[in-house]
Amino acid sequence: MNWIRIAAADDLQDDEVRAVTVGSARIALYRSEGEFFATDNRCTHAEAQMSDGYLEDGCIECPLHQARFDIRTGAALCAPATEPLRTHAVRRDGNDVYIADPAA
Amino acid sequence: MADASELRTPIAIVGAGQAAARAAQALRALGHAGAITMVGDEPHRPYERPPLSKAVLQADDAPATPVLPDAAFDDSRIDWLAGTRVQRLDPAARRLHLADGRTLHYERCLLATGGTARTLPALPPGAPRTHYLRTLDDARRLRASLRPGARLAVIGAGFLGLEAALSARRSGVEVTLVESAPLLLGRFVPAALSDWLARMVAGQGIALHLGQGLAAARADADAVHLRFADGAELAADAVLVAIGLVPAVDLARDAGLAIDADDGGIAVGPGGQTSDAAVFAAGDCASQFRTTLGRRARIESWHNANEQAAAAASGLLGLAPPAPAYPWFWTDPGEHNVQMLGLPAADLQYVCRGDPDAAGRALWLGLRDGVPVHGVALNTGGDLRALRPLFEQRVAIAPEAFAAEATALRPWVKARLAAAAAVAP
Repeated sequence: MNWIRIAAADDLQDDEVRAVTVGSARIALYRSEGEFFATDNRCTHAEAQMSDGYLEDGCIECPLHQARFDIRTGAALCAPATEPLRTHAVRRDGNDVYIADPAA
Repeated sequence: MADASELRTPIAIVGAGQAAARAAQALRALGHAGAITMVGDEPHRPYERPPLSKAVLQADDAPATPVLPDAAFDDSRIDWLAGTRVQRLDPAARRLHLADGRTLHYERCLLATGGTARTLPALPPGAPRTHYLRTLDDARRLRASLRPGARLAVIGAGFLGLEAALSARRSGVEVTLVESAPLLLGRFVPAALSDWLARMVAGQGIALHLGQGLAAARADADAVHLRFADGAELAADAVLVAIGLVPAVDLARDAGLAIDADDGGIAVGPGGQTSDAAVFAAGDCASQFRTTLGRRARIESWHNANEQAAAAASGLLGLAPPAPAYPWFWTDPGEHNVQMLGLPAADLQYVCRGDPDAAGRALWLGLRDGVPVHGVALNTGGDLRALRPLFEQRVAIAPEAFAAEATALRPWVKARLAAAAAVAP
C-alpha cells in the first residue's frame, strides 16, 4: 500500500477535523481520543465539507444539515444523509500521520 | 365507483410527508409490530420538501429525495393508500371517511397533514402562469416555466421565496422578488444579516423590492400583471406566490379537536396527543408548548417534523416521549447556508462574532440575561452546533468573549460548560 504523509500528529487536538488535499482527493482528517481517521470530505447529502463540521464521540456532524457519520466506518447515522462517506486507512508513525493513497 | 367497504388498522397516519414517514419509521423502531396504514393524497412516496425550492427547481427531471430510502420504506411495512384523500375524521367512532367512499377504523390516529400554501385571492391556484410551491408536482411545474430569459415575479421573500428566486436566477431567469416587509427575513434574523442577504440577492441580478405591498394582480394567457402600492407596475411571464403556509387542520377542527387560537395549529401535548385520547398530531399542522418560548408555537421545519414525529410515535404507543430538542432550522439561499438554533424573541440582545461583509460568514447569538436562546449562523453552521450545549444547559456567557474572533470557539465553549458545572450545586 502506498502511504502518503498528510499531517503531524500534534497538528490536531482531539475532536478536531481538518481538510487535506491528496492529489485530487478532498479528505477530512479526524482526531478522536488520540486516534486518527479519514473520510472523503464532501458530504454524501449535499455540497458541504465535513472539515467544517462538528466532531464528537467519533461522529462527524455535517455543518449544513446536521447529518451524522461514523468516522470509523463512514456509515450515515441519521437523516438527511443515507449514503456512507468513503473511509480511508490512516497510519500513525511517531508524530507523522499517513493516509493510504486515495487514488490507489 | 364508490366502495363502501371498511378497513381496520391499529394505527392510521393521515398524510404522507416528512412527519408521517418518520413517525412510521419510529413506530417500527419502538417495536410496534401491527399494521400501519398511511393515507396520503399525493401519488408519491413520502419525499423531502427542502429540495423543492433548490435542486428540483435547478434541473429538469431532478429526482425526488425520499424521506425513507426505498429499502427503509419497505422495511417499515406501511399499508400505503396513495392518492387518497381523507374527507372526515369521526373521533367518537374512531373512523376516517375516505374520499373514495371507504372508511378506515383505527385504534390510534396520527394527523400529519402538514399545510397548504397561503393563496392570494387575485391569483388563485390554477390561474394562468400562476405558481404555488408546496408539493413535488408544484415544483416540477414551476421548473418547466424557468427558461433562460423568462420573467418570473416572486411574491413573498420568506425562506421559500428567497430560495426559489435564487434557484430561478441560477437558471437564467429574470427574477423580481417582492416583499411587503421592510427587511429580508426580518422576523427571524438580525438586521445586519437581513442587509447582507439583500445585497447578496441584488448581487445575483435579482430585482429586490422590499417594503412593497401588492395592490392588484391579474394573470391571463399572455402575461401576469402586477401593480404595487406605490403605483409601480410589473409584467411577468410567470408568478410564484410564496406568502406562507396555512396549516391543514380542517379534519381536526371539524372533528371538534382543540385548535390553538393564535397559531391555528392542532393543539398537542409533549407526546403529540390532541384533545382526543386516540388522536395525535405532528409536524407543520401541530401546535405545541415550547419551554424555550414560554408559549405554544407551531414550527414549520424539517427538523420539527422529525422531532414531533418521534414524539408522537412514543405517544401513539403509550410511551413517554423523548425530551424535546432545541428548535433548529436551516435555509440554503443560493450558495449560502443560514441556520437558526432556538427562536427569535423581541427582548433578546444580539451579539455578533465575525464580519459578514469581510468573510461572508458570521454568527449571532440572541441573549436573555446572558444566556443564548437564539443563534443565527451565516455559512458557519458547524460553529453554531458547537454552541448548542450552552443553549441546552442555559449557560450565561460574556458577549465580548464570544465576539472575540481570536478565541477558538470550541475550547471556549468547553471552558464555559466546565465553569458552569463547577458553580452548579
